[in-house]
Amino acid sequence: MEAYLTKIRSGHLNRKIRLAAIGMVLLIAPILMPNNYWLRIYTMTGLWVMLSLGLNIVAGFAGLLDLAYVAFFGIGGYIFALLSSAQLNIHLPFLLVLPLSAIITMGIGIVLGSTSMRLKGDYLAIVTLAFAQIFKLLLLNLDTPINITGGVNGLFAFDPISLFGLKIISFEAYAYLIWFFAALVAVGSFRIKNSRFGRGWEAIREDELAAEAMGVNTTWMKLTAFAGGALIAGATGALFASFQDSVFPNNFDFPQLVIVYCMVILGGLGNITGVILGAIFLSILPEFLREYGAYRMMSYGLILIALMALRPQGIMGQVEFLLKKKKRPDKDDSGRLKDSTALYYEKHRSEILSSGGPEIFSKSNAVILELDGVTQDFGGIKAVDNLSFKLHEREILSIIGPNGAGKTTVFNLISGIYAPSEGSVYFEGAEITGFKPHQVVNAGIARTFQNLRLFNKMNVLDNAKVAQFCRTKAGPLSILFHLPLHRREEKETDQKAKEILNLFGTRLTGYRYDQQALFLSYANRRRMEIARALATNAKILLLDEPSAGMNPQETIEITGFIKRLRDVFGYTILLIEHKLNVVKTISDRVIALDYGIKIAEGSYEQVACNAQVIEAYLGRRRQSAC
Amino acid sequence: MDIYLQQLPQQLVNGLTLGGVYALIAIGYTMVYGILGMLNFAHGEIYMIGGFTGWWVLYLLTKSNEVIMHAALVISLMIIAAMAVSALVGMLAERVAYRPLRNAPRINLLLSALGVSIFLQNLVLNYQGAKVRSFHISSLIPESLRVIQIGPAVFSFMRALVIVITFLLMGLLALMIKKTKVGKAMRATAQDIEAAAFMGVDVDRIVVLVFLIGSALGGAAGTLVGLLFTQVDYYVGFQAGLKGFTAAVLGGIGNIYGAMLGGILLGLAESLAVTFLPSAYKDVVAFVILITVLIVRPWGLMGEKIPEKV
Repeated sequence: MEAYLTKIRSGHLNRKIRLAAIGMVLLIAPILMPNNYWLRIYTMTGLWVMLSLGLNIVAGFAGLLDLAYVAFFGIGGYIFALLSSAQLNIHLPFLLVLPLSAIITMGIGIVLGSTSMRLKGDYLAIVTLAFAQIFKLLLLNLDTPINITGGVNGLFAFDPISLFGLKIISFEAYAYLIWFFAALVAVGSFRIKNSRFGRGWEAIREDELAAEAMGVNTTWMKLTAFAGGALIAGATGALFASFQDSVFPNNFDFPQLVIVYCMVILGGLGNITGVILGAIFLSILPEFLREYGAYRMMSYGLILIALMALRPQGIMGQVEFLLKKKKRPDKDDSGRLKDSTALYYEKHRSEILSSGGPEIFSKSNAVILELDGVTQDFGGIKAVDNLSFKLHEREILSIIGPNGAGKTTVFNLISGIYAPSEGSVYFEGAEITGFKPHQVVNAGIARTFQNLRLFNKMNVLDNAKVAQFCRTKAGPLSILFHLPLHRREEKETDQKAKEILNLFGTRLTGYRYDQQALFLSYANRRRMEIARALATNAKILLLDEPSAGMNPQETIEITGFIKRLRDVFGYTILLIEHKLNVVKTISDRVIALDYGIKIAEGSYEQVACNAQVIEAYLGRRRQSAC
Repeated sequence: MDIYLQQLPQQLVNGLTLGGVYALIAIGYTMVYGILGMLNFAHGEIYMIGGFTGWWVLYLLTKSNEVIMHAALVISLMIIAAMAVSALVGMLAERVAYRPLRNAPRINLLLSALGVSIFLQNLVLNYQGAKVRSFHISSLIPESLRVIQIGPAVFSFMRALVIVITFLLMGLLALMIKKTKVGKAMRATAQDIEAAAFMGVDVDRIVVLVFLIGSALGGAAGTLVGLLFTQVDYYVGFQAGLKGFTAAVLGGIGNIYGAMLGGILLGLAESLAVTFLPSAYKDVVAFVILITVLIVRPWGLMGEKIPEKV
């Protein structure tokens, strides 16, 4: 414990030393530059760092391939140019123009984003590319009939920046100014990454549908990523315009887009330190390869191809991997081999089989969820046909039926992934038909996925924390300035996530907090699915085949666990399960579906003896069924 | 309005020609998308390379400015060479940049395709220069054949030729996909690549074949446009690529007949819009169509709306 504390303290100290060192470098660097040529490159590097960090929010964090990014850079530049020059004879002070450029650019970003947010991956890429083309066409052609953009000749000679009476004219002054903003954007990036926003974006990048089903308002979050990127691009554009004292259409063209993408990808999408280093590296490198200048763009193409094939996580991934202390999952801290699965079960048998706590809750008669005549029509095929049932508070209700009976479709209808063709769904008396999945989660219903849709590249703890997204409210400002709301919510989220993961014993805790979901064993991934649903503070859990693919011991354990969730913690559970033993053990009631129609409902014995159910399962009547 | 009506037949002819070319490009996008679910950003460059190949063949064969062989032969050679070179480049790109990423996240594949596009464009820029190459076709066609008048519409010989060739190529492709064993394998792979592999289809070969056919058609389009508008430069692939993609989306991406229909509709729409719009904004038409389709009916005219599997 003592050693642990010192480690934390030294870590903290390290961070302070590192920050101080970076601050010193930023202070001294402009003075150390040998001449104005290098000072200019140093300043341009700062702009590239800003620009890449902005793109990193859209493409890195949220995984949106935004090819209009360079147009936003240009919009910022041109707005600055128009608002502080003789072109339109508007001369606003810098402290007003800079935020104005950024915010107007963000506004345009939001407009473009909101029209194209329904689009996924490739479509978004092509629409944004088309937008960038239109932007370039406008820049080139809006010199007639009235001269706004100056056409090919661009705009130049802007008002010098004046900050609190201090004129920014010299190269040194620009170097400090631009790197100041670059540092600001970097700090902001780190803060937003470790927040509900950062986790929400990452979840969308990993699996958009699962993110939505865990309560992340994906449309809104994608829009905020788009807006955030545009905001930074706009500000960078304004600074760039002032620094260059001119703007031309070809400052904001396809090559710039490619360069900034290369910077972000080289550093690793989403990896802030990497992106900064990537931007610095690719800004300085061309200076040493100037005689090969003609091959610059060609080699950027090759860099993209090679990185995607060999190191899609960027160059930084490797370094971080080396720095991390390796842990053998099969050994405990003292280096002793841990028990194998069989031994583990042997030892923990009694503990696993007991429900592990006082049984305080049981089924009540109050209806919590009701389906009324729900039908899902897939172009003539009725996957669910006029289904009605009631789920009572703290009940465990199982849905059984052969493959293709429409069980998962029922879950999709309740959780809002499909809107029913007909019929209504009520939760606690209020209608939730047609709610989006994140609204359903917000109301208090969470689900798991039959075919496991964890956020694979996120660690176990963050997987659980994502689920708290809909229970937290901190906005961008609260996060960027570490306001009390954000700090309190982060603490609560952390506690809640750990509390939930602890329900599974040691399986998802300890060193596993930091393990990517990808590396969990199959059974642990199934447990993680449930943990994630629990972490949404749901009242109703929709569990889709929680024991699928588990071995007999694991099945017994998970069955006990589900029962405990109701008995000890008071959850209401709707369960899809193929293993009839599980159904028999824990269900208060059972519903049998076949071809989307409810063919039986009642206690397990009643349903199991129902002639229609037997026929659906076995295809013929059995003589001595019950 | 009267002037507009007078121009209508002519614009229809122009639109049909342009549309045929767009359709050829769109087929390449749609076939690759249908099988790999990826947007081949580099397809526009493949088209551009086809244009350059056609130019080189024409240049080498008519260097001395005297007709050394029959015009029909020259044009056939141009198109065949363009198809061969483009097909080769397309297959190479698949092998080097796309195949290693078949199971990677989509964004990686897209970025790799973007890399291929930039690489090819700048490769041509470096070795062929930025200047516009002109196709000297006037010597190829006898004076008497240059213009064909049908009613109020004037067909240039080249236009007629381009229409015939594009529709011939599309017909052949449709036949191949419908009637042959390979065509069946391609359709199966497009539906489910894993299932097709389990049924004994060599999906790697099918993917290569798809790149071969799509790129060859793109290359043919490059040369045909060169013959039609007599120009090619290293940057033409960008616009053409966007247009081809728009056509593919309009028709319903993944659907080959949709690509054909989308291409022709887009060509017609562009030609007709030219009458109303300043020519500088001509290209905006395609983008507006693209964005509208993607927002209103993203599965296109002939595509199917498929609910996402959970």
